Amino acid sequence: MAKPGYILLKLVEVGIIFFVILTALFFLFRLSPGDPISKMVDPMLTPEDMAHLIQQMGLDRPMWEQYLIYVKNFFTGHFGVSFHYGEPVATIIADKLKWTLLLFTTSTLLAAFAGVYLGKIAAWHKGSRLDNVMSVSALVCYTLFIPWFALLLLWILGFKWGLFPLGGVLTPALWISNASVFARILDVLHHLMLPLLTLFIINLGSYLLLMRSSMLSVLREDYILTARAKGLSEKKIRNKHAARNAALPVITSVGLSLAFSINGGALTEQIFTWPGIGRELIFAVSNNDYPLAQACFLLIALVVLCANLIVDLLYAWLDPRITY
Amino acid sequence: MQNKYFWWRFYKGWRIFIENPLGKTGVIILSVFMIMAMASFFVPLIDPMYDPMTGIDPDIKLSTGPGLTHWLGTDNVGRDILAQLLEGAKVAFIVGLSSAFFSIVIGTLIGMIAGYTGGIIDAALMRFADIIMVLPSLVILLILASLFGQFNIWIIVFIIAILRWPAVSRVIRSQTLSLKHRPFIEASRVAGASHVRIVLRHIMPNVLPLAFLYMTFRVTSAILVEASLSFLGFGDPSQVSWGMMLQWVWKSGHMFQAPYWLIPPGLCISLLTLAFYMLGRAMDEVLDPRLRKEGQTG
Repeated sequence: MAKPGYILLKLVEVGIIFFVILTALFFLFRLSPGDPISKMVDPMLTPEDMAHLIQQMGLDRPMWEQYLIYVKNFFTGHFGVSFHYGEPVATIIADKLKWTLLLFTTSTLLAAFAGVYLGKIAAWHKGSRLDNVMSVSALVCYTLFIPWFALLLLWILGFKWGLFPLGGVLTPALWISNASVFARILDVLHHLMLPLLTLFIINLGSYLLLMRSSMLSVLREDYILTARAKGLSEKKIRNKHAARNAALPVITSVGLSLAFSINGGALTEQIFTWPGIGRELIFAVSNNDYPLAQACFLLIALVVLCANLIVDLLYAWLDPRITY
Repeated sequence: MQNKYFWWRFYKGWRIFIENPLGKTGVIILSVFMIMAMASFFVPLIDPMYDPMTGIDPDIKLSTGPGLTHWLGTDNVGRDILAQLLEGAKVAFIVGLSSAFFSIVIGTLIGMIAGYTGGIIDAALMRFADIIMVLPSLVILLILASLFGQFNIWIIVFIIAILRWPAVSRVIRSQTLSLKHRPFIEASRVAGASHVRIVLRHIMPNVLPLAFLYMTFRVTSAILVEASLSFLGFGDPSQVSWGMMLQWVWKSGHMFQAPYWLIPPGLCISLLTLAFYMLGRAMDEVLDPRLRKEGQTG
């Protein structure tokens, strides 16, 4: 179990990093061409509403005061008002976050489990035809260009064969009528399949390759020889002694490859019109909706940092050799 | 003497490398794309209608499938898809190689400084690297594009390089740490060499091969990030790139009607990144595989 001191240290670290990002974003908004008022306050608002927003965000104050108000607003959840929706950004984002988390966690977890399982088998049969087929396909999966792959899946599975809906997250007709909860869940799952499949296949490749190389190095360890000398069955050595230790670096890599998955997630959401944070960010950027873009960015940064924190703690908990 | 050893090792490495199935496949795919990139210089000379950006076939108004004058068909305004594909190969090489080169330069310098000086500078630089490493580069490019408007291709290349040096600097740092206390470094220090001279003359030649190994992985991620950015519509509008082509198929609503237009650009991006990735892995097996901690970041 991780020590409380270690958890605290990690929390402080994440806090500092997030603060650096928050500050960098503040200065970027001030450094970019155009004045900050036009960036944070919708020019289409009535003068009273504009004055209220300018006052709330302190845009008429000196720079250092603006910064303090910006930090305070962040922690109290005042991200400003979206230009496009005309609603507070916080409420829009809260709605999108659940969809992103649903897609992101399911695809990462499924891919990690499948990758560890298949990588274990590939490494165990190193050099065989099975291993070669698995490694090469993993390599191909990993380097597939995500938007293209997603479009192909959409075209073949969605359009040609009509197996899955072409986009969105639910069928409006079903939700307006009083369908049962079960039917609704099934509907969401039906919409989830294609984006999930895209991210699953891409992530699976990298986890499989990682698990394979990690497993290969573990198999050279002395304790595997000891286990063999004790006369344990091959299956036991593979699953209990080798695979458990080999899976540890894969967990760290979930943290390291998070940036990669977030990029992929945003592209996938965009193509399947999945109403998540990534798609919202792209939408905000295309429409110059600065308050919304800023909030989406900060939220993504926060998700990345939290996931890294979870990975770090999980790793410390799983591997007792780590003491800080 | 140092140099002679290096070249011997280089030759031996090349032999293992070319006998490695991954390395061989990578080199073959890469050569095909190189030829494509070269060909892009000559295609517009055949007929102005083969210009990837401005060449419009006067007889064609809609997207058409493969034919004799347009081997891969045309897009919705009558531009030749093959010509765009060749141009895209050139742009992908320029983006991938230059961005990887800049990130190698930044990463190597910072890694050497961190490893050589140690202490608080080392800690600060590596913490900074950690922060940049966890940030998704596509998302950062998007937010920058929203603030500063459309970027030209070189700015995109530079931003990718600035975002993707940390992985390189970590490896270079650990290599520098192991070199720092070797006898030949101690000897030059005793002989009165300055720190700058030790770093540039003695450490750098020893870490450069490793830096170039990492270059292949950086090429992969730079090509992917640029293609994604162009696909989303934030690329350089004056350049035809594979990502841009995909964006045109998608935005013009031809993705379900024109497979001859949808399939080639994505296939090229995937194959080119696969080739560079294979090169990287093959080189990895040639050089020390234990040094590698990380191969993929967005």
